[in-house]
Amino acid sequence: MYRKLIVLGLAAGLVLGLFTTGITEELAENQVLRIALDAADLNTLDPHRAAATMDRAVVDMVFNGLVRYKPGDILVFEPDLAVEIPEPTDGGLVWTFQLKQGVMVHPWDGNAGYELTAEDVVYSFNKAADPDRSSYAGEYGGMSFEAVDRYTVKITLAEPLSSMLFLPKVADYCGGFIVPKQPIEALGDDAFKTHPVGTGPFMFSEYVPMDKTVLVANPDYFRGAPVLEKVEVRYMPEVSSREYGLRSGELEVVEGRREQDWVETMEENPGIVVDVFGPGETVVLHFNLKREYIKKKAVRKAIAYALDRDSFLAFFGSTAEALYSPVPVKYLAGGLTYPELWAAGLAYNVDREEAKDLLADAGLADGFTMEAVTSERASYRRVYEQIQAQLARIGIDLKLKVVDHSTMHSLIREDTNPITIYIAWRANADVFLTRFYHSDSIVVTGAKSDTNFSHYTGIDDLIEAARSEVDADMQIALWKEAQREIAEYLVSYPLIMLKYIFARTDKVDWGYDLKSTVALYTQITENTRILK
Amino acid sequence: MQAIFDTQRACTVFDEGEAVTGYLVRRILLCIPILLAVLTLVFLLVRVAPGDPAVAALGDYASKEAVEALREKMGLNAPLYVQYFQFLSGLLHGDLGKSLITSRPVAAQVASAFPYTLELTASGILLGSFLGIPLGIFTALHRNAMFDYLGRLFSLVGLSVPAFYLGILLILLFAIKLELFPVVGGGNLSDLGETLRYLFLPALTLALIMMSYITRMTRSSVLDILNEDYVRTARAKGLRERLVVYKHVLKNALLPILSVIGMFAIVLIGSSVMTEVVFSRPGLGKMLVGAMKQRDYIMLQSIMVIFSSLVVLINLLTDLAYGFIDPRIRYE
Amino acid sequence: MNDGKMSETKRLWKTFIQNRTAFVGAVIALIVVLIAIFAPFIAPYDPLIQDVYNRLLSPQGGHLLGTDNFGRDILSRIIYGARVSLLVGISSVLIGMVIGTSLGVIAGIKGGKLENLIMRGVDVLMSFPNLIMGLMVMAVLGSGMGKLIIAIGIIMAPRFARIAHGPTLAIKEQDYITAARALGFGDLRVIFRHALPNILGEVLVMGTLWTATAIRIEANLSFIGLGVPPPTPTWGGIIREGMDYLSNASWISLFSGAAILITVLSFNMLGDGIRDIIDPRTTHGK
Repeated sequence: MYRKLIVLGLAAGLVLGLFTTGITEELAENQVLRIALDAADLNTLDPHRAAATMDRAVVDMVFNGLVRYKPGDILVFEPDLAVEIPEPTDGGLVWTFQLKQGVMVHPWDGNAGYELTAEDVVYSFNKAADPDRSSYAGEYGGMSFEAVDRYTVKITLAEPLSSMLFLPKVADYCGGFIVPKQPIEALGDDAFKTHPVGTGPFMFSEYVPMDKTVLVANPDYFRGAPVLEKVEVRYMPEVSSREYGLRSGELEVVEGRREQDWVETMEENPGIVVDVFGPGETVVLHFNLKREYIKKKAVRKAIAYALDRDSFLAFFGSTAEALYSPVPVKYLAGGLTYPELWAAGLAYNVDREEAKDLLADAGLADGFTMEAVTSERASYRRVYEQIQAQLARIGIDLKLKVVDHSTMHSLIREDTNPITIYIAWRANADVFLTRFYHSDSIVVTGAKSDTNFSHYTGIDDLIEAARSEVDADMQIALWKEAQREIAEYLVSYPLIMLKYIFARTDKVDWGYDLKSTVALYTQITENTRILK
Repeated sequence: MQAIFDTQRACTVFDEGEAVTGYLVRRILLCIPILLAVLTLVFLLVRVAPGDPAVAALGDYASKEAVEALREKMGLNAPLYVQYFQFLSGLLHGDLGKSLITSRPVAAQVASAFPYTLELTASGILLGSFLGIPLGIFTALHRNAMFDYLGRLFSLVGLSVPAFYLGILLILLFAIKLELFPVVGGGNLSDLGETLRYLFLPALTLALIMMSYITRMTRSSVLDILNEDYVRTARAKGLRERLVVYKHVLKNALLPILSVIGMFAIVLIGSSVMTEVVFSRPGLGKMLVGAMKQRDYIMLQSIMVIFSSLVVLINLLTDLAYGFIDPRIRYE
Repeated sequence: MNDGKMSETKRLWKTFIQNRTAFVGAVIALIVVLIAIFAPFIAPYDPLIQDVYNRLLSPQGGHLLGTDNFGRDILSRIIYGARVSLLVGISSVLIGMVIGTSLGVIAGIKGGKLENLIMRGVDVLMSFPNLIMGLMVMAVLGSGMGKLIIAIGIIMAPRFARIAHGPTLAIKEQDYITAARALGFGDLRVIFRHALPNILGEVLVMGTLWTATAIRIEANLSFIGLGVPPPTPTWGGIIREGMDYLSNASWISLFSGAAILITVLSFNMLGDGIRDIIDPRTTHGK
């Protein structure tokens, strides 16, 4: 009898043992992910203000949108807080979203969480549309938001928009992040900047200035509790520090340096994997059409012929791709491909002799001098320094004035530069074209002065026609036409696309397939986990 | 001496007949207008510089309206004198204001950064003194011996090397080659072991620099005293060397040494800023550089208030110490 | 020729040669100066020419100190970098010396309200740690060689004012000056005949030592990114650029840092040595 029991016990123990080792073999005991970003500190964790990687990363984990870019793939939209992605009604003017039930807002400051309802969603969109409380108010002009019932939100547009242009506004990006009403009302906008409360898989726990923001798992997340218990977002501006942190096991994921040698150096380390993913940021040279020399098309052409994309690519390696039109065709609808450009005779492949001839014809055989303001940030300096060296070879002396990053952004908006390099990502072709090429966006003098550094006025009609075009193919055709105009007139010269680069221990499993993300970091979701 | 003593002040001499307390009060009162002038200068300089905290806060995507709205909210559109008096009255009420970028109270930001800077400078000064004073005495006693030359060369190198370069060398050697210490960061302050591990390399950076200053200072101070008649007499009388050193030299040399260690702390502020930058320590120096880059006027003013008060305070203490170390006291 | 003066010069020269610290410092400093002057003849490559297909080469035959992230020859960049360091270091100290010393002497001679104004102003400026003052001034002025010189000159001037002020005061109190002024000799005469010669030695010693400090400040500012703009090579700038490549191309930072160290050291040695020579009381090498 006893013997039987012992045998049974042994057997049970054996089975149980096998079973548990089977589980623990898969997951590491310590589910804490430490990710280091290239930043000295956070700026703001209010999603309607967040603009840079270090802020977007945290916001991405804490908040949701009505719809979302599929994790790891920005070409696909899927429902997030909404039950499904609706079709517009009333001639494309009305979008009605059904909310998922049981989505819980994180508890905060001793307050219990509560169920997110249409009231919160409407509140959030009104906040996003308010220029005093949002950086993205311009995106929501003419839109009205209404809570039809507890779980139904109706959005009415002034003009119909294609889904390509509408969905980003309600997705988990910029103003589309849903900020629940009660916590932000209780905390106030200022405190909310360093104490975000949302509905996402992770909840804010702690912020240590210049050091880190700590997030913990939200056990009530509507897609299920995350596997990770805790995420630490570390602010570490020195790449070598991040690198050694990863190597020594003090960090699991680090933002890299966007250069080929870094990829190679990191990959030499056993157990370290490098992720290079899109979309990244476009690097475009904007010509100031109002400036001496640059206003001559021959000079712009000479500069275009002097620039050498291959040389840039040799510098950045696999972390960059060539860019041929302002809208990056690989990631967004409406861009031009190289063959299309080539066919139009607007490819401007490097040809220094041609460049010098053009300058000579323009009466500038001895070249000329110009001065441009740039940022001390590495990505800008490294692009500008290469341009400087390449222009020097055709006799153009580009003097650089290096200032702090934010100061550069102030100064170039005051029309300081004859040529302006701008490194940016924008949500869609319309935003790219409107903000950089519409006459309303002309720096200083434009009606809504923004980032049209070239003072170009030639494609307003095309941009506007495309914006109100509901047919996707027609819309794309109009955008392409606009960019052919830009290339023809040489308003700007697209150089490259800088992608994002992160390295991680191979123990980190994202839980999705990472190709591209608008969150600008390797998204961390409820499925992200650390393997044993 | 002067070389390292960048901030050396004219010795203040007691006026005959003036009460010590009277002098003290006068000297302390003098600090107020200086501090006020420093604050005014900081206030103006940061605002004259190009750049806009609203742009820094919002990033490049923000529209002009958003930037304008934020500027208004930040109070940057108010006339300068209004902002200036707000700043001063805030200071008088002990209110440092809120960061323009994160909107957190500056006091909270500073409170989180200050311990990192304090432990760094304090350990740098202590370690530097601990190594530098014995070395200085030793080289003085063995003047012109091989060891003395080496010591002098070493301290010259120490006060020539930029802190950030020394930091890089230490990182390369101890963190990258030997993998003994973490490269950067501050560590968790509540965990002593971790704090020390993170503190070691930056503290060593400062300590080596500090040590160079102190070795030189100690050496010349001890030499001065060795040349004094009474020490010569003592030596001539055949008192044992060790006794002479202990009884006369140390006692008399240490006071001036200690009094100037405080002043080296001023020199060390610059070095500690660079050390924090290189080691990414979340201290005041790094916060200052960050605030500068973001044009966070309010943060910048407040950190400058702290740094400048520190300098003024140290100067005050040094002046007082000079008064205290009156020759009559020294010669007993 | 005044024989007495000759032998005095001779004596000083002899002491100088005998003072090993000063001699070695002077020789190294001279070499750095020569390198800076003859950079175009010494540098193996154009320091500005990029060759991104040969970036980050380790030290080797064609590139003795390797290449940087743009494929530029580091040796050549360090050689040209000497120009910026010395030019900024020396001219900022000269500016600071002229302005600061004048202010200090004037304050000492004139006394009264003017003295108060000048010396309190000096107190204010010296309440800023050097680097922080440099940071703020550069933020206002923007980057550039001339601006860098002005910024560091502003840091240096109050120091010179202080060392000039004290001795001037002491001289003013002396009987013969009082007598000279009673005879109607003007301030200028007093300044040039009596005050300046008396403080010149100290000012020159400090000028040399502070040149070392100025070079270091320049390196610090360049390291933070507020120095001379690209593509001009500066030692601090090269180190800063190299920081990103510490793990796979540490030579970038290492060599340029060594250049700073050696140069600063040489000026410190020279200044130290000169002080010993001029002021024999401190021959024990303060």
